[in-house]
Amino acid sequence: MSGYYAFLKKELLESIRTYKLLILIAVFFIFGMLSPLTAKLMPDLLSSFLPEGITLTVAEPTALDAWMQFFKNTSQMGLILTVILFSGILGTELTRGTLINMLTKGLSRHAVILSKLTAMILLWTVSYMTAFVVTWGYTAYLFPNDVPPHLELSVFCLWLFGTFLMTLFLFAATLVKSSYGALILTGAVSALLAMVNIAPLAQKYNPLILALNNTALLTNAIQPSEMYSALTVASICFPLLIAGAAVTFKKRLL
Amino acid sequence: MNVLEIHQLNKRFREHQVIDGLELTVPEHAVFGFIGQNGAGKTTTMKMVLGLLKPDSGSITICGESVRYGETKSNRHVGYLPDVPEYYGYMNAREYLALCGEITGLPKKRIQERSGELLELVGLGSTKKRISGFSRGMKQRLGIAQALLHEPRLLICDEPTSALDPVGRKEILDVLYAAKGKTTVLLSTHILTDVERICDHVAILHGGKLALNGTLSELKEGHRQDGYALEFRSAEEAARFAECMKSNRFAATVAQEGTAIKVQLQLSGTLGGGQSIIGLLAHQQLTPVRFEALEPTLENLFMEVIQ
Repeated sequence: MSGYYAFLKKELLESIRTYKLLILIAVFFIFGMLSPLTAKLMPDLLSSFLPEGITLTVAEPTALDAWMQFFKNTSQMGLILTVILFSGILGTELTRGTLINMLTKGLSRHAVILSKLTAMILLWTVSYMTAFVVTWGYTAYLFPNDVPPHLELSVFCLWLFGTFLMTLFLFAATLVKSSYGALILTGAVSALLAMVNIAPLAQKYNPLILALNNTALLTNAIQPSEMYSALTVASICFPLLIAGAAVTFKKRLL
Repeated sequence: MNVLEIHQLNKRFREHQVIDGLELTVPEHAVFGFIGQNGAGKTTTMKMVLGLLKPDSGSITICGESVRYGETKSNRHVGYLPDVPEYYGYMNAREYLALCGEITGLPKKRIQERSGELLELVGLGSTKKRISGFSRGMKQRLGIAQALLHEPRLLICDEPTSALDPVGRKEILDVLYAAKGKTTVLLSTHILTDVERICDHVAILHGGKLALNGTLSELKEGHRQDGYALEFRSAEEAARFAECMKSNRFAATVAQEGTAIKVQLQLSGTLGGGQSIIGLLAHQQLTPVRFEALEPTLENLFMEVIQ
């Protein structure tokens, strides 16, 4: 246990000193600012690009547009950036050999996996929350008294998917040698999930919809109950992926 | 009491049997030189001792506790210095030692005390910069500090001096020698002068097992040959001496090379051999410029063993 805390501290120090935390918070802060702003300015922007004489009637933007932008930004660029920033979290230590010394000091391999996962999830949560709080505040300022329905659930769904993705990545990193391999493997699994999503029967169990249906929830196109199966699947996969990562890493030749 | 015991250890990489029934015991408070050619299996053996590599068969015990692959419990008795240690470059030396100490479970106050002592010992006491700015020698010295932090009973050093300049090498050897009183040192190397300088026990790994094993003085004693090197003022004198040796029917091989002569007495172990040569010299009224009893060197032993 003491090994876990010591190594978690090291992971957090690492993300501060190697500017990972700074980059993540900065980018997610920008997402947070940009989402309501784009929603507000979109009609003006559109009309300024149109040739003269043509008028386009665009509906007056609402808070919903701001949140649509928020989910688009965080679920795509946000998640991809987070995973890429963490891509070397295990691979680099293995190729450089920094971990060997820690392990020979009695640090258990489980503690390595758990502390790295904790650090990743913690940083993802902090940056995601930054974007959320900023969007929330700025939206409340630009579009007062306008909160779309099921916002909390929608935000939670994407957070859970992000957590699922981090765990999946760490599991992939214990399976393959290089950091790029782990990225490719994570990408391949995500692509597989996207393909599964075509089948209507499997759709509701697919964790990917946690990052796809966020706006649909806000517009009431989807009811919260339709998300429960996917939420359950992701919640079950989470401990399974951790166990998988711990077991493969324990057997892994260093 | 043996700090490390290895019995019937085997390890094969595909076709290549690297370790083949290795037997090795390291007594407490020894400075144990573990010698072998590149690729002889020194690092492989050490990795198995540290539980980083799975042996095919055999047993390893450290301080009476058996080593299991993938587990690191037995490593609390061990300090390990890799050949080229790698650290987290964004930390400074003190922070790195603190991390090591916390992982081993040392109390905070003890970590601070030990870090201060050890950094002083390895000459990094006043360095504030981050490890990414360290030279190789500094990294190696920090390596010793981290390995000694938890006062291990066994310090394993994997070729600690092979990448260093002469000054760096001397510093490392001095620090290791200073550690001798407090811990047992297992030093893997192929630099024989290093071994002769600080080791009291020596084992030579060849063909996957120990080809030679014992204290340095024992080994030298056991391989002593009654050999002498003489040098004369002129080649004529040397030739005259060689002639006398032959005519006096010494059981010896005499080799002449200009003014130098090498005598190898066949009745080894008889210390009187040298005396009889001196007698002969006196009788012939020959005064050599140099007269030297040949001592076996570790290099000779090593060459002999690996052939």
